[in-house]
Amino acid sequence: MIRKLLYKTTFLLCVVTLVVGCKEEEYAVPVPKSGLQNDCIKKSVGPGLAGIDMEFMYAMAIQQSEGKLISAQVEASIPGAPETYLEHRSFHTDAIGDDIGIPVATPSVTDGAVTKVTFDVDTNAATLRYYYRPTPDAADKEVSFTFSATSSNGQTVTYKMGPYKIRRMEVAPNLAVSNGNKFYISIEDMAVYDDTEATARPDKIDVLYLFRTITGITFGHSFVAPAADVMYRPGITLPNGINRNTKIQKAWNVRDIHLGANAGTGNNSYVYLDDEDFKTLDLSAAPNYAINMLAQSGIWVETADGKYRGYIYVNSINANGSAVIGIKRYRL
Amino acid sequence: MKISKYKNFYLALLVIVAFAIIRCSKDNFPVDEDGLLITDRTSAYVGSFDLWDPTHQTVVVGTPVVDTVAQTIDLQVRFGTDLTRLWPRFSLITDAKLEPKVTGFVDFSDLTNPRQWTVISGNRQVRKVYTVNVTVQQP
Repeated sequence: MIRKLLYKTTFLLCVVTLVVGCKEEEYAVPVPKSGLQNDCIKKSVGPGLAGIDMEFMYAMAIQQSEGKLISAQVEASIPGAPETYLEHRSFHTDAIGDDIGIPVATPSVTDGAVTKVTFDVDTNAATLRYYYRPTPDAADKEVSFTFSATSSNGQTVTYKMGPYKIRRMEVAPNLAVSNGNKFYISIEDMAVYDDTEATARPDKIDVLYLFRTITGITFGHSFVAPAADVMYRPGITLPNGINRNTKIQKAWNVRDIHLGANAGTGNNSYVYLDDEDFKTLDLSAAPNYAINMLAQSGIWVETADGKYRGYIYVNSINANGSAVIGIKRYRL
Repeated sequence: MKISKYKNFYLALLVIVAFAIIRCSKDNFPVDEDGLLITDRTSAYVGSFDLWDPTHQTVVVGTPVVDTVAQTIDLQVRFGTDLTRLWPRFSLITDAKLEPKVTGFVDFSDLTNPRQWTVISGNRQVRKVYTVNVTVQQP
C-alpha cells in the first residue's frame, strides 16, 4: 500500500516538474547599463615585436538619452612608432562578415604616448581600432595601455590592457633574392645585396642564395655560407673578404606568420616563432649549407660571430632562379 | 538449516571465483632485458630501411636495397645531405629487435667504416649483423 503511494507520488512529482520546467518565459529586452561604458579586446595574436602592429578593439557606448561620445584616447606606457594610430572609423561586420568602417571622428593625433580622436558626429556608441607599432627601443620591455573615452555628460571611463612583453626578435619580410643578382644575404643588416653592394660590406654577408640546375643531383634553390666547401657553391667566385662561416640547418613545417606565411589556407600549420625558440636553438652540430630548398621551408642560422640567431623562411620560389624570403632574427 | 539451502549456490560461486582468478593470473611468458616478449620466432631480418634528416624528411634517393643474404643495406642519399645527423629507420620482421637501439641522430659521415646494426630474432637466439652502406649522390 505504502509502496504504491510512493510510486504515485513520484510519478506526480515528475509530471509537475516537467510542466513547470517547460513553461515558456517571456522575453524581456535587456536594460542597458546606465552611464558611459567601455570594453576592449586585443585582436592581434602572437608575440609583439618592433615594426609589427599590435591591434586592439576599443568599444564605448552611452545611452542615447544620457549623452553622446566626445572623445577617445589611448595612452601607451612606451610611445609607439609614428605609424601608431587610433582609427577614426567605427567598425562593424556586415552580413557576409566583411569589416565596414563608418567615419565618426577626426583622424587621430598622437602626442608622445597618447593617441586621441575627437568625435565629429553625433554618436553614442563606437568601436575604434587601435594599432600600436612598437619601436626597437621597446624590445625586452613590457608595454601596457590605458584606453579611455569621454561623453557629453562629463563622464570618463578607462580600460587597462597589458602588460605585453615586446620581444627582442626583429623581422624583415618579403625580400626578393635572385640567382646571380641579389643573392648575398646579411643577417646583421636584415637585407639582401647584389655583387656591388656586397663587395662594399664583405664582413656582413652571412648567407648566399644560389640556384643551379646540375645533371645528376638536385641542387635547385640553396642557401650556403660563404665559407662552405666550394662543391656546395659551384660556379661562383666570391669577392675578397666574403668568407663568413654561418651555421645553417634546414627546417620544415615552420611557417612563421610574421614572415608572411599564408595562414588560413590549406591544411598546413602556422606558427609564431618567439624569443624562446632562438634562445634554445642549438646549431652547434649544424652544417653551413642547405641544398634544394622548397617553398614554405626555411633555415635556422647562426652567424659566425655568434651575434645573431635567425630564421630565413622561403615564401616562394620560381623556376627561373629567384625566391622571396623573410628573415627573423634574435640578437644574442 | 539455512546454509544447506544455499549450498549449491555458494559452491557455484566458489568455482566461478576460482576460475576467474586462474584466468586473470599473469601468464608466465618470458621477457628479455628490455621487457620485450620472447617468442618462438627464429627469423631475423630487415624488411625496409630509410634515413631521415633533422627536418624528418627522407634523404634517400630511390629505394634502399636490402640484401637479407649478404646482410647489407645499400642506399644513396641526396647531394648535400648532412651525414653527421641522420635518423635511421628500420622495419624488422615480427618480434625482432635491433642492437644497438636507435635513440637519436646517428653520424654516417665516416663512409669507409659503415654503420652496423644487429637484428635479433623473436626467440633471441638468432643474431644477424647488417651493414648500412651509404653513398652520396654526386654531380
